[in-house]
Amino acid sequence: MTAKRAALITDSYKVVKRSRREEKREKRAPSPPQKDTEPRPLTAREIELQELRQFDQDWRYGPCTGISRLQRWERAAQHGLNPPQEIRDMLLSADIDSDYTHCLWSDYPL
Amino acid sequence: MFSEVSAPQEGSCSLLLCRPGSEDQEPSVFDRVKPAYSPCSERFKLGERSFNRQYAHIYATRLMQMSPLLTERAQQKWGADVRIRKLCDLQMGEQCCIVGTLFKHMELQPSILKEISEEHNLLPQPPRTRYISESDELILEDELQRIKLEGNIDVDKFVTGSVIAIYGAEKNDGKFTVDDFCTADLPPQAPRTTLSSDRFVLLLSGLGLGGSHADSMLALQLLVDMVTGHLGDQGEQSGASTISRVLLAGNLLSQSTQDKDASTKAKYLTKKTQAGTVDAMRLLDEMLMQLVSSVPVDVMPGQYDPTNYTLPQQPLHHCMFPLSSTYPTLQLASNPHQATLDGVRILGTSGQNVKDIQKYSSMDSHLEILENTLRLRHLAPTAPDTLGCYPFYLKDPFILEECPHVYFSGNAPSYQAKRITGAEGQEVLLVAIPEFSSTQTACLVNLRTLECEPIRFSSFSAGDDEESEMNISH
Repeated sequence: MTAKRAALITDSYKVVKRSRREEKREKRAPSPPQKDTEPRPLTAREIELQELRQFDQDWRYGPCTGISRLQRWERAAQHGLNPPQEIRDMLLSADIDSDYTHCLWSDYPL
Repeated sequence: MFSEVSAPQEGSCSLLLCRPGSEDQEPSVFDRVKPAYSPCSERFKLGERSFNRQYAHIYATRLMQMSPLLTERAQQKWGADVRIRKLCDLQMGEQCCIVGTLFKHMELQPSILKEISEEHNLLPQPPRTRYISESDELILEDELQRIKLEGNIDVDKFVTGSVIAIYGAEKNDGKFTVDDFCTADLPPQAPRTTLSSDRFVLLLSGLGLGGSHADSMLALQLLVDMVTGHLGDQGEQSGASTISRVLLAGNLLSQSTQDKDASTKAKYLTKKTQAGTVDAMRLLDEMLMQLVSSVPVDVMPGQYDPTNYTLPQQPLHHCMFPLSSTYPTLQLASNPHQATLDGVRILGTSGQNVKDIQKYSSMDSHLEILENTLRLRHLAPTAPDTLGCYPFYLKDPFILEECPHVYFSGNAPSYQAKRITGAEGQEVLLVAIPEFSSTQTACLVNLRTLECEPIRFSSFSAGDDEESEMNISH
């Protein structure tokens, strides 16, 4: 049956799309709250661990895998590269904590 | 010269040919000279061994230790205002100096990755005597980057692992054009004390005991008899008393004792057989006992001796020497070995480092390679790339910190010795000790004058008789 005007298949589509889009817009309406609060502050332990990770990745002191951080610090000191003394203090104060003593990649195999 | 010291005196034949002396006549006794000996090879002794590390640490410490030395040398050679750059700070076309570790990319170098790669379907490469080719390339690596080198640099003379300083500029295509290079050169040398009389050290290597050819056994017995003073008359005996120490530099056992067939043969065939090394070690122990009862001996292990394979090789265990280890004069040393004898510093290896460099460069003469390693200030630059090495992390013990007075390497194909002087007045005697099993030659180093002379114990072998017989016939 021919309609009075040229009826396109897309006529039906449009309707469907519109409703879908409207539905989506309705769903999107409650947008997440704006980030006006600051990120959660890092604990002291996390700051120290981050510093130790920076020490691991510092290229001047050579590769970090396979040796403990204290051994790497001693090696750097022996070769006159002046590694920061705070790192050594941190490592000596927490010598049973394996997160402190071992390097970033210590969980990975050789 | 040793030959002058032990020259037969006038009328001395009568001493040998006369009747044995009566009871009241005292036989002349020659006391052996006793030099002050101190071993300094503590850094080559390994305590607890842990192989849980990668070898990157050795290269990192090598570069850490050598770069201040090389920057100093570069400033001495090319002026104090020469720009020393890291590879990441290189500017195009700028004349500057870079310091780093060399890597030689060789097509023919056996690579385990190529062997097991299935896509190439390659058979394992047969072992060759030399792995260099025309297409080799030199690459310089520092802590962060690497760059290809071209220009005024002889690719064949360098091996992987040497740390050098290069002067040149980076050109458009990303390669560094070399104008000049410099090595760390000889380290500082402590002055040696002047001695009043001649004192000799006998250097010996490549005894090859337990081998299938026993040609050198007579020569070895002659050597032992000469050193212990059982040969010759009074002149020669007094000469032998000036030999203050004997140093055995590796390969005490022959290569044929390293029979690996036992592991592949069936158990029932090998049950009652002993390893070839057992009998050979017994022979060595008996020979050492004769020597050790009269002269202090340093025994260094070599490539075919029963100790670990990687450098630094640990001293042979004293339980293998039941007869000779009871004497305090037996010193079981590591390979490489360093000792100070009367103020004269002696350093050397059993030759594995030199042979390895020979395989990966165009240099043939052991003495030339020895000089090269001294100028590079590193005993074994190819370790750990092609020469087995322990994964050190704290320090690289093969870097020469002090210049030796006598620098030797064992198991050379022929005897060679040379005296070189360094830029700061260092004097070094380089000795390539020949293999005793094939050349029957040992070296005598005079500690007073730092000269070396060969001493040959040849005997008539079956081959010589055949030659003389051939000449008779027409």
